Amino acid sequence: MNQGQKGLIEKVLSKDMCAACGACLALCPYLKSRQDKVIKLDDCDLTVGRCYAYCPRSQVDWEGLQKKIFGPAYEAIELGTARKILMARAKDPVWQGKAQTGGVVSALIDFALQKKIIQKAVLTQRKDDLLPFGRIISDRDQVLSSAGSSYISGPTLEVLNQGPWQGEERIGLVGLPCQILALAKMKDSTLPTQTPLERVVLTIGLFCTWALAYKPFKAFLEARFDHQPINKLDITPPPERLLRVWVGDQVQEISLDVIRDFIRPACRVCPDMTSEFADLSVGTVEGMAEWNTLIVRTERGEEVVERALEANIIEIRPLPAENLSHLKEASVLKKQRALTVLKEQGEPEGGYLNLSQELREKILS
Amino acid sequence: MNPILNESGKIELLMGNEAIARGALEAGVQVCAAYPGNPSSEIIASLAAVAGVRGIHVEWSVNEKVALEVVAGASFAGLRGLCAMKQNGMNVACDFLLNLNLTGCGGGLVVLVADDPGALSSTNEEDSRLYAKLAGLPLLEPATIQEIKEMTLWAFDLSEALGLPVLIRSATRISHARSNVLLGDLPKEKRLPYFDAPRVTFPVVKNHQRLYDKQIQAAQYFEISSYNDYRGPDKPELLLLTCGSGWLYALEAVVSLDLSQRVGLAKLGTTWPLPTAWVLEQLTKAQRILFVEEVDPFLENNIKALFAQHNMDLGGKRFFGKADRTLPETGELNPDIVIRAIQNLLDITFQSRPPEYAVRAKEAVQQHVPGRDIGFCAGCPHRATYWAIKNALALDGRKGILLGDIGCYSLGMGASGFFQMKTLHAMGSGAGLACGLGQLKRFGLDQPVLTVCGDSTFFHAVMPALANARYNGADFLLLLLDNSGTAMTGFQPHPGTGKKASGDPAPVLDLKTICRALGAEVEEADPFQLTSTTEAILRLLQEGKGPRVLILRRECALIRGKQQKKLFQVTIDRERCLGDQCGCNRLCTRVYKCPGLIWDPMTGKAQIDEAICTGCGVCAEICPASAIGKEAA
Repeated sequence: MNQGQKGLIEKVLSKDMCAACGACLALCPYLKSRQDKVIKLDDCDLTVGRCYAYCPRSQVDWEGLQKKIFGPAYEAIELGTARKILMARAKDPVWQGKAQTGGVVSALIDFALQKKIIQKAVLTQRKDDLLPFGRIISDRDQVLSSAGSSYISGPTLEVLNQGPWQGEERIGLVGLPCQILALAKMKDSTLPTQTPLERVVLTIGLFCTWALAYKPFKAFLEARFDHQPINKLDITPPPERLLRVWVGDQVQEISLDVIRDFIRPACRVCPDMTSEFADLSVGTVEGMAEWNTLIVRTERGEEVVERALEANIIEIRPLPAENLSHLKEASVLKKQRALTVLKEQGEPEGGYLNLSQELREKILS
Repeated sequence: MNPILNESGKIELLMGNEAIARGALEAGVQVCAAYPGNPSSEIIASLAAVAGVRGIHVEWSVNEKVALEVVAGASFAGLRGLCAMKQNGMNVACDFLLNLNLTGCGGGLVVLVADDPGALSSTNEEDSRLYAKLAGLPLLEPATIQEIKEMTLWAFDLSEALGLPVLIRSATRISHARSNVLLGDLPKEKRLPYFDAPRVTFPVVKNHQRLYDKQIQAAQYFEISSYNDYRGPDKPELLLLTCGSGWLYALEAVVSLDLSQRVGLAKLGTTWPLPTAWVLEQLTKAQRILFVEEVDPFLENNIKALFAQHNMDLGGKRFFGKADRTLPETGELNPDIVIRAIQNLLDITFQSRPPEYAVRAKEAVQQHVPGRDIGFCAGCPHRATYWAIKNALALDGRKGILLGDIGCYSLGMGASGFFQMKTLHAMGSGAGLACGLGQLKRFGLDQPVLTVCGDSTFFHAVMPALANARYNGADFLLLLLDNSGTAMTGFQPHPGTGKKASGDPAPVLDLKTICRALGAEVEEADPFQLTSTTEAILRLLQEGKGPRVLILRRECALIRGKQQKKLFQVTIDRERCLGDQCGCNRLCTRVYKCPGLIWDPMTGKAQIDEAICTGCGVCAEICPASAIGKEAA
């Protein structure tokens, strides 16, 4: 099996399994991104390449990777390895106003920058046409402009590969589960690279259920809202589950059942709702719009949270038992759906998602 | 002194096309016009070089139809005119030709068509002789370089005697071969032009009948022509009926096989209308007859028809040629092919070379000849253009259709254009096809439509297509590849270059202004700026309606090479060069493949071939490791 561009095309790109995380981009002249797609410009005939090695949909040894990062065997199948599961929110209202919910991600990145825990952060910003793109930032204004989601995938990791990097800076990265998984694979790979992987010292993963395929979704929005500019998109937490669309000065609501048709095929096989390979994972809290769920996974993540608490940047509370239980349920549901879709697609043994029989059974039971 | 101006009685080594030019000068030609096309281009080029000295008008016209009209205009005013073209050009000119045959001409008018058997430098393989029959016009087929000069001279007299244009058919091996030519007198007098008689095709039927009557008259001239001859025994076992370069191959075959006592060789220099009595006389000589001629079985079919008319008098004959596949129906002939055909017919064995020769030749080629694909020159702007097109189409992702036509950029269909160009037909057909494909959106075609055309092709045949596109609302992007000349045929100037055939200055017709006037949106880009050109193509593909034009302007690398030094000194930083590692995998030498770049397998690094590199600097933009540097030279 080719483990270069050919393999990537065969297993991922040609099967519409690309998550558009950006891990394969800016490494070579052959792959480029356009909207939310990765495009091959020319054939590469290498049998081993970083594009394939880094891709979160080529081959993933889930438990092996977990073990390398977190040590003990993968037990917490619902939400992944966690030191603490809390709810949190930013103290400074500037973050809450801008951000989707509790503003914890923006507040923590800003704090890490202020305290020189990191000097640069790779964040995702979106353009007027909803398309997200990666951006290297170093100050508060840039953090502010990166808050908010568009529910479209963007090749954020491209800028990590591309730089420019000065060579000393410590880097923080905020990403979707696919991007965080790709970063874990990148760090695990032994292939020579210019990407400053060892200097990515803080990763904050976002919760993600799915992303939407740009072209059909955009066509849908344009038809629905007569080509008016879209200012913001937001999905309300359960039980409501509506897509809110800020069009002009109005807020329109669309049932998620309609939106589901546009889910990216690559998201349907993703088992990760809570960015299980991150230092910290952040999502919403059901029924409490001003709060975030915060999962602390690593020692480094814990240290940042502790310091932010001391500095009164964020406040925390225990996550109510009912919320925790719903979160676990949703996360397992995503894993189950992914396994079911993979089975339906006839994914062979040792295919993209390498899970032990034991883990597979645990998830499905 | 220019060899075609040497004095009468001298012998000069001339190329066939130069001999034609000399023949025309000896005939006192005053107006000459053509659109360049191989293998005919040197005729007008040679005449243009002496136009000033000889005080004649020589022009590169925008296309062959206009060229023929230019020359006919002169003929209507009593002057002698020569129009030259390749076989495809005849197709362009034929609409006028098939009316001109009815009106006739005044001053001698000669149309020289150089065919390209084997399509060595053409998009088609075509026998232009069929036009002579179609138009009912006299046709001459010279077989040697001397003969082509003499026939050209004679054709003007013939044209005036008959009041009809006369066609001469040459072929690559006549037009591009060289031979000693005995020169004749160059006239000193010039005719005074005066238009007196109306030239209209009406009454059509009467004029059509008159055309048939003139053909009988022409055949009478041909019956006594010394260009038709026979050499061989009185009763040969096999009669070779030949014309043009076919005669040369047949002659070589007969000599090589030492068959001059057994095989007869008839050469027909006047191939339409047939000199009936002369041909019938040849047919009586043998029972077995092989036709040897380039491209179509023109002589073969016409003589068979003549035989059918007279078969009661001639008895049984067995005809061999292209119809029964004794000779191949397609491709260029050569002496070996004719030798094999004669061997088979006469059941003789002949070895022109020792059997091991082919093996040794193959080995020598493998060892000593460097492998090189047909492709764009080093530093050619078209390579950069196709690179940008390839990337823009890939990024656009809708499987855009790139149409094209005739020019150096036709090579875009192959490896050096990254296989981007998907259609190749006549001059301007890319834009014409785009007018059709550009209407299919309403039926669900979601592939964007693009076409390439060159600057010379634009004036030749694209302007009407662009007007049509604007008028009918065809949706496409025209990439106008302006390399400042008619590069493929030898850098002839055109209306956009500011130069005439003679080298004198001419007003410049600005491509951008013309396209705007035709109602198209127009942008310009520099093909050497790959990123911005790719972006411009991508944007124009996705935005806008109707015809859009992107003018990609860069001088042909060969024109540039003649005029100035390199733009850049290009160097490779071997430390930075990634070679075949992940991150490059030899993009410059494996994919971009400019001949100025070479791969050194010993060190695993790219190199610049200083002898070939023209210093365009494009590879510096392509290199993913910034290992290729350029400094202003």
